Amino acid sequence: MIDPVKLFTLIFRATLFSTSGSGNIPMLYNDLRSLGYATEQQFAESLAIGQITPGPTGLWVVSLGYFMDGVRGSLLATIAVVLPPLLILVVERLYRRFGTHWAVQGFLRGLALAVAGSFAIVIVGLVRGSKFDLSSLVLVLVSIGLGATRRVPVPLIIAGAALCGVALYH
Amino acid sequence: MPSLSDSQPIVSAQGAATADIVMLPPPRLWHLLRAWFSIGTQSFGGGSSTLFLIRRIIVERNGWVSDDEVTKAWAICQIPPGINLLALTTLLGWRLRGALGIIASLAGLLLPSVAITIAFTALYRNVQQLSVVQAALRGIVPATIGLGILMSWQLARPLLAASRAENWQSLVFSLVLLASGGIIVVVWNVPVILVLAAAGLCGTFGYRWLTRHKRTEQTA
Repeated sequence: MIDPVKLFTLIFRATLFSTSGSGNIPMLYNDLRSLGYATEQQFAESLAIGQITPGPTGLWVVSLGYFMDGVRGSLLATIAVVLPPLLILVVERLYRRFGTHWAVQGFLRGLALAVAGSFAIVIVGLVRGSKFDLSSLVLVLVSIGLGATRRVPVPLIIAGAALCGVALYH
Repeated sequence: MPSLSDSQPIVSAQGAATADIVMLPPPRLWHLLRAWFSIGTQSFGGGSSTLFLIRRIIVERNGWVSDDEVTKAWAICQIPPGINLLALTTLLGWRLRGALGIIASLAGLLLPSVAITIAFTALYRNVQQLSVVQAALRGIVPATIGLGILMSWQLARPLLAASRAENWQSLVFSLVLLASGGIIVVVWNVPVILVLAAAGLCGTFGYRWLTRHKRTEQTA
């Protein structure tokens, strides 16, 4: 069912053409769901697991890889997200020479804005895969508020939300 | 996890803040592995909290690089694709011990966190049908969405601030790029990669054109 080469290529490509650990979400969301490799719910679940577990949040892809293809999938996902950041060695040298050029500055700014915008839309779209009610909306707003203070550790916010879920729906 | 972090505090926090601390010989690969291992197991949520941890372990506790160097390296690490923290790990590993330094640093950072992520996902799969887990998930998903929106805002905010500092046209242009990136993805039919490339190209010429008066004023 799942072609490991294709799985690796899609994650690698999405990571290579985006910035930060979550910039690859829109592209992966598009590609993997249309192939039937991953569901909307698995995206939400792996993003949550990425927030809970230690290490970079961007390792949520490792969790998604496991949902799709077990340990093999998660290891392929790991390699696919580790390779693109190695380009820092090239980027650093080029940036020292051309970094202040207006074309470079403008391109990076436009790219990063589009990444942020499409990322936000896809994240909000995860609502469709879940049962959403007024309490969910309150949880969204409260977690934005708590996250914005930077004082409350993220896993604590997630743990609190899990407890709220149990209290509300169980 | 104090036992995993490096044993001797070589420079104090105050020492690290001054520029003239004596840099020690390059660290052993084993020490590099251990330092990044403790960063990998203690860091949650990425961003500023991770940077704080790197400062404490790489700069203050071990004195391998200066505080200033980490700040500058972190800024450049926003550019390459993928997880910024992996880029920083790579860059510092390269500067300290070359290619082997990269391998030791990345292995230290990734081995624990990837293993824990796999184990956690496997565990979750075994219990996900339980009604209590489903209920917890109904709380977790909105929180993840909230944190995602916040992260997206944190990505966009410095760029919007830079535009506002130029002029209002530049700010409007940035807001349009931000919104269109999202809206075109909703329409779906356009591959995301094309949207990103187009936004980059718009940025290349758009900002140049919008700030043309400022430059003519400066040269005049």
